[in-house]
Amino acid sequence: MRIEKQSIEQLILDFISSELADGTTPAPQDDLLTSGLVDSMGMMWLIQHLEDEFDTAVPPLDVTIENFGTVGAIAAYMSRRLTNSASGVSSQ
Amino acid sequence: MEFGWSTDQKELRAAVIEFAQNELSAGSRDDDSTGSFPRDKWEKCGAFGIQGLHMPEQYSGSPARDLVTSLYAMDALGYACADNGLTFALNAQMWTVQLPILLFGSEYQKERFLPAMCRGEFIGAHAVTEEHAGSDVYSMHTRAVRCDGGYRLTGRKCYVTCAPIANLALVFAITDPEKGKWGLSVFIVETNSDGCERGPVVEKMGLRTAPFGDLILTDCFVPESNRLGPEGAGLTVSSNALEYERCCILVSQLGAMERQLEQSIEYAKTREQFGRPIGKFQAVSHRLVDMKLRLETSRLLLYQAAWRKQQGENASLDSALVKLHLSESFVASGLDSIRTMGGLGYTSVAEIERSLRDAIGGVLYAGTNDIQRNNAARAMGIR
Repeated sequence: MRIEKQSIEQLILDFISSELADGTTPAPQDDLLTSGLVDSMGMMWLIQHLEDEFDTAVPPLDVTIENFGTVGAIAAYMSRRLTNSASGVSSQ
Repeated sequence: MEFGWSTDQKELRAAVIEFAQNELSAGSRDDDSTGSFPRDKWEKCGAFGIQGLHMPEQYSGSPARDLVTSLYAMDALGYACADNGLTFALNAQMWTVQLPILLFGSEYQKERFLPAMCRGEFIGAHAVTEEHAGSDVYSMHTRAVRCDGGYRLTGRKCYVTCAPIANLALVFAITDPEKGKWGLSVFIVETNSDGCERGPVVEKMGLRTAPFGDLILTDCFVPESNRLGPEGAGLTVSSNALEYERCCILVSQLGAMERQLEQSIEYAKTREQFGRPIGKFQAVSHRLVDMKLRLETSRLLLYQAAWRKQQGENASLDSALVKLHLSESFVASGLDSIRTMGGLGYTSVAEIERSLRDAIGGVLYAGTNDIQRNNAARAMGIR
């Protein structure tokens, strides 16, 4: 499966804006959790949304600041994950 | 859709009921009155296989039961064991200590801690709450500072179930304050370590046989091999553990509600006033129907949430609803049971008032019901 990082990023931004942040759209490099844009439960919903959207499971221990700190990081992680899972390689 | 139980599941339930009635129920009133933890019963549970129900055979000695079947057995335990504190402590260890170690632990950690907990030799506690970090759990202050070979932990956890008697505790601590919620890590602290002190038993209203208290850490060394998951995994571990906790920790109270209802029905059928059994009065029979309704709706919610988790589906809304509804139902039915049994129900002799005292804590622990309503509302798209 090949999905552009940019389109994943837009999907994440749309979800945060409409479901988690009351219309506020973060910049791709904004720190989501420490800035308070998204709380811990919101982060779990975002992950669930991505799992549903891309029909993939995010291993719990992949949920780190490196992979989920910003919208850009999440998009890069998901893009890697989807590309690797298509070729049978771990995303980490 | 299938609501029935298999023959194997029914046999397990029957075996648990027989075990609990024979081995666990005697002396519960005295233990409650003195606030004593029944260690001998805990060990018997280990020998029977209660703590190991959901654990793989290599750690428990018997094949792992799936989540729904394990909960069905714990439901049966609550039905047949009159000591709600004991069943609560067992559930607390099984779902908030053993399960996170199974899901996130290294092989060394699983081998070292799970068999001893399954056998009933070790008691585990889940230490997250602090004096100023209750519902706002991520505002905790306990720090873990890296040192040669591991970490040094300093802080004070409070209201920790089984802290005064625990051999080990999962302790949530901040490893990197700069990273906010991402800077949280989890450690398996062995309570005989230097710098780890188990506080005294804090007296409380109910669940008095499940001792709880503080865990005080003062520059306590924890080896790196006892960190659960990577540094910064605290958010993931806590989110995962909290969902299991909400879904599972009250399961034995479902059984207790069933026992309570049977006692109330029996009393309403045999107690006569104004020349007839009190159950003939609608004021009483309607109350018993309300108790039945609460029991059945709680049961449906709980097994639906467990089934969802077993399928690997998101169960955050279901778990919040289970925790909320079951805990409030147990309080309401405890009160209705006393109303039905009148003066006798109010005495300690009938052992009915104890269930009401045991029920109250359920609206507070595992995330207060106010927080569960917030969680459910958000999951329903209401912000």
